Amino acid sequence: MEPFLELEGISKAYPGVQALSDVSLSVAPGEVIGLIGENGAGKSTLMKILGGVTEASAGAIRIDGESRKALKVEEATAAGIAFVHQELNLFDNLDAAANVFIGREPRTPFLKLIDRKRLNAAVQPLMDRLGLDFAPDTSVAELSIAQRQLLEIIKALSLDARVVIMDEPTSSLTMSETRRLLSVVDELKRNGVAIIFISHRLNEVQECADRVVVLRDGRISGRLDGGEITHERMIRLMIGRDLKSLYTPPAAPAGEAMLELAGFRTAAFPESAVDLALRRGEILGLAGLIGAGRTELARALFGIDRPLGGTIRLGGRNVSVKSPDEAIALGIYLIPEDRKQSGLILDDTITANISLANIRAFASSGLVSTALEEKNAAAQCRALRIKAPGVSTIVGSLSGGNQQKVVLGKWLSMKPRILIFDEPTRGIDVGSKNEIYALMRGLADNGVGVLMISSDMEEVVGVSDRMAVMHEGTIAGILTRDRFSEEAVMQLAVGHSGGDGSHTTH
Amino acid sequence: MLKKDLGLLILLIVVAGIVAFLNPRFISPINLSNTANLVGLFGLISIGQGFVIITSGIDLSVGSMLALLGVIFIDLLTTYQMNWALAVIVIVLAGTGLGCIHGFLITKLKMQPFIVTLCGLLLYRGIARWYTDDATAGFAFGQSFPSLEWLTTGRVHGVPLTFVVFVLIAIVMGVVLHRSVFGRHLFAVGRNEEAARYSGIKSERVIAATYIILGALSGLSSIYFAMYTRSISPASHGTFYELYAIAAAVLGGCSLRGGEGSVFGIVLGTMLLQVLQNLVNLLGIPSSLNFAVMGAVILIGVLADQQLVKYRNQRAAARARGALATGDKAQAAE
Amino acid sequence: MKRIALMGAAVALALSSVAGHAADKKTLVFVANGASDFWKAAEAGVKKANSELPNYVMQFKYPSQSSAAIQERLMDDLVAAGVSGIMVSAVDPKTETDALAKIAKQTLLLTTDSDAAKSGRVAYIGSSNVAAGKQVGEILKKALPKGGKCMAFVGLPGADNAKERIQGIKDVIKGTKIDIVDVRADDIDMARAKRNVEDTLTAHPEVNCMLGIYSYNIPQIYQALKEAGQLGKITVTGFDDDPITLGGIKEGTVAGTVVQQPFLWGYEGMKDMAKILGGDKSFIPKDGLIIIPTKVVDKSSVDEYAKELAKMQGKG
Repeated sequence: MEPFLELEGISKAYPGVQALSDVSLSVAPGEVIGLIGENGAGKSTLMKILGGVTEASAGAIRIDGESRKALKVEEATAAGIAFVHQELNLFDNLDAAANVFIGREPRTPFLKLIDRKRLNAAVQPLMDRLGLDFAPDTSVAELSIAQRQLLEIIKALSLDARVVIMDEPTSSLTMSETRRLLSVVDELKRNGVAIIFISHRLNEVQECADRVVVLRDGRISGRLDGGEITHERMIRLMIGRDLKSLYTPPAAPAGEAMLELAGFRTAAFPESAVDLALRRGEILGLAGLIGAGRTELARALFGIDRPLGGTIRLGGRNVSVKSPDEAIALGIYLIPEDRKQSGLILDDTITANISLANIRAFASSGLVSTALEEKNAAAQCRALRIKAPGVSTIVGSLSGGNQQKVVLGKWLSMKPRILIFDEPTRGIDVGSKNEIYALMRGLADNGVGVLMISSDMEEVVGVSDRMAVMHEGTIAGILTRDRFSEEAVMQLAVGHSGGDGSHTTH
Repeated sequence: MLKKDLGLLILLIVVAGIVAFLNPRFISPINLSNTANLVGLFGLISIGQGFVIITSGIDLSVGSMLALLGVIFIDLLTTYQMNWALAVIVIVLAGTGLGCIHGFLITKLKMQPFIVTLCGLLLYRGIARWYTDDATAGFAFGQSFPSLEWLTTGRVHGVPLTFVVFVLIAIVMGVVLHRSVFGRHLFAVGRNEEAARYSGIKSERVIAATYIILGALSGLSSIYFAMYTRSISPASHGTFYELYAIAAAVLGGCSLRGGEGSVFGIVLGTMLLQVLQNLVNLLGIPSSLNFAVMGAVILIGVLADQQLVKYRNQRAAARARGALATGDKAQAAE
Repeated sequence: MKRIALMGAAVALALSSVAGHAADKKTLVFVANGASDFWKAAEAGVKKANSELPNYVMQFKYPSQSSAAIQERLMDDLVAAGVSGIMVSAVDPKTETDALAKIAKQTLLLTTDSDAAKSGRVAYIGSSNVAAGKQVGEILKKALPKGGKCMAFVGLPGADNAKERIQGIKDVIKGTKIDIVDVRADDIDMARAKRNVEDTLTAHPEVNCMLGIYSYNIPQIYQALKEAGQLGKITVTGFDDDPITLGGIKEGTVAGTVVQQPFLWGYEGMKDMAKILGGDKSFIPKDGLIIIPTKVVDKSSVDEYAKELAKMQGKG
């Protein structure tokens, strides 16, 4: 069939980052396209351009032969492009039918109230089509994740969607729910609806996709058709880039285990336990896909959330961490993933942020000495090469890299034993990235245990001394440096056993 | 700190200047003394309210608390013949206790401050009226407590002791807010509770502490008010006073979003509000316009302050950009 | 829904006590305009009337807030519970006229304290505020033979009772050298009442007399003057019988006060209602106003009055 939607030479540049370059993609009715790539390969940027949320820097979008430079959100909807998002966009406080027709509810002739009868009548046939067995007036709050996802698909169908873009639709579904979703994909396909299926679960992609498009570093690294779609080929296309050498070896071999987790469980994956040891003087990379439970692990270690079970041993002694201040007292510090929300007080000064966790050190009999505080902040600014007019600069006005250095400065003045970095260089320019890597190495060489959570393959392979790969709440495997390869990480991250670089195929 | 309060100080001086020009008696010692006395009375609850507002909370129960604690205080002195010093301690502790309850409900049981203290507003007013059987609580004619009266309504060289006590407490609270570890934690929690928590600050304790401080100050203030009016009609005593306190704090630069405010600003805010009340009487403005004058000046004050901050931020941002640009150049040259 | 049902249940429970009595005896209710000491004497009067007429149930009710809406609601509930007569001190007679008319159609209605003539009430029992004001005017004339400048202090200057009282004073002092400079209002906030006095001392040093229109105004004047060392230098007079007011009269620092007799309102009102229910309306004057005179209390009569008051309030 003829494609009705074509992307031609789409490029998108953000300040300092080329998110997409020269991406072309065509969609024909009734086909299922698997779109895969690592975290940050450019999938979500591409989808945002399709949905009209952002505008491409170059290239064209052709719909039914009509070419245009960019879409608005309404135009995308009118063209029949619909999304089923990873984070569901449903209103918990409304019922199913109301969610489907939100913003375009049928009205009664008088008073223009919502016409419930017509609303339910419009939704019911769509629900029947997908085999949903709950009533249209069921509250969304009562629905399971899988049911919500199907409801999103109904919403897409009610908009006469010609292409439904599913972003990680099965990430939180059980096996049987996944099967159900895949059969819905099949049903849509038979009715001539095209699907763009974005997933890290290569099994599912292999099962349902007619063809696969692989993105890497914002470019299309390959296309696979029908029988070409195999695990090996998909993984090879997803990685397989030259790694710049980031690695600086440690000054001394890693010492004894400083931090040991045994049977450690968090609320994200109550059934899975983590066993992990972090040694003195090493940088331990913690790789895995987004949602594998790494951030939850870090939060629990730092006392933000209570772990469900398991033990923490620090320096050979059992410890309990019930709150961040207990973690801090033990010398376990966290540089959180969301710098702006959790790491910093954006409308406060550099000084205030750096001394925030340690204010008592600058106080005598309860009164803070501003001079001491500023002296320390200035010292950290110099040591970390923070670019700012002065220590009383408001942190919110700094660049991402300098903001992250302020977060680091906060902990470095407090003699860390264990430092957990959660996505340490997200949204940070290359220059600052390298500085932060050098700082991490320096800390490790000074005997600090560094645990680095990273979704950036280049980073986690290039910086770590050892790597643990997480999959669905547990450690899928530990890799030593001689066995590092992106392929090995990917295999473990998508849930294949055996972290030695060999893998089994289904 | 002073920079931010400068605008309010200017507004206060301008208003005072105009009033003094129109009626020179405004700056007569006796009038300044009377005004200072009321600044002392209202200032205590305003500072407490300011602390709560810095955590982005609010306490609506202050006025009712003044009525309840006030009638109990008078009852302790008259009916139970309690030693006045003991009664003062009991009342301040009772206020602290109520603050503890508010803090507990808000931080441990996660209730919204508005709701908790709105219920307090109704509850304490109701209990005060029930306790006195809706009668006015007051001292008998000629009943006298010389030491207590000296401490609460006495004046030394024309300076009311209430004002002296208020200034002392304001200095202490100013040091606590702007210089102490607790104050820094308070601002951190008000600006970004999550980041504060990620820095090991026990945000719940900090928030609860502000309600407890306000409770204690309300207890002290209830004694002052009781001794000022010397009789308390539980149905009307202190109504709206929580709003005066909120108004003073907001005028003084506290943002209801939290994380902003200074004790000096709150003191100035309280002074401005009392000068407004004073000028209505001194300039012979009809009493009915009292609230209108207050509303208009608060509106103008807060609006002007916001515009000033916006302007200052723009200039600071421009300066920061300039500094970074030259810094980059310098680095490029290396 | 649940909450409304719950509230309904609470109201029903509260009214069942009234309705229960109504089954065998007729119920008469005195509805005050808000809670204050003033009504304690009226309550005592109601009790005394009831002891003389045990065949009636006589009750004294306060609205939970001094608001017209809440008072109307209370009266509606009482009517629904089947009371035979209501005597009410309306919070705001002007705006409540319609609501009072509705009550008057359903049961016997008397007004007290302040009248609502067009409501269809059978009679008004109470003081004449104008007459009381005139008595205060007479006290002034006696205390200030050479004339003077007076400042009046009041809670709500727009309220009828305040306006009538001030009118009465003005009627008497017209043509003399006594003059009311201004009226300062405090919205029934005692701290503001005291502040108004303090500010008057500053703003108007020529003022040599102060009038307390509401019951708490004289005590607040007294306190402010005492602290300013002006007691005895400024003539103080006004209305009602707060203990501080009576103490000041005894001490000689308050010239005198004019008191209403709420005890008699309650006492006479209840007895009159019983009479009307018994079919006798002949004692009601044509204009429907049964005036219970106000009394002047000055230094010579204050001791006797204080004793009487204590007895009426059950404190004696």
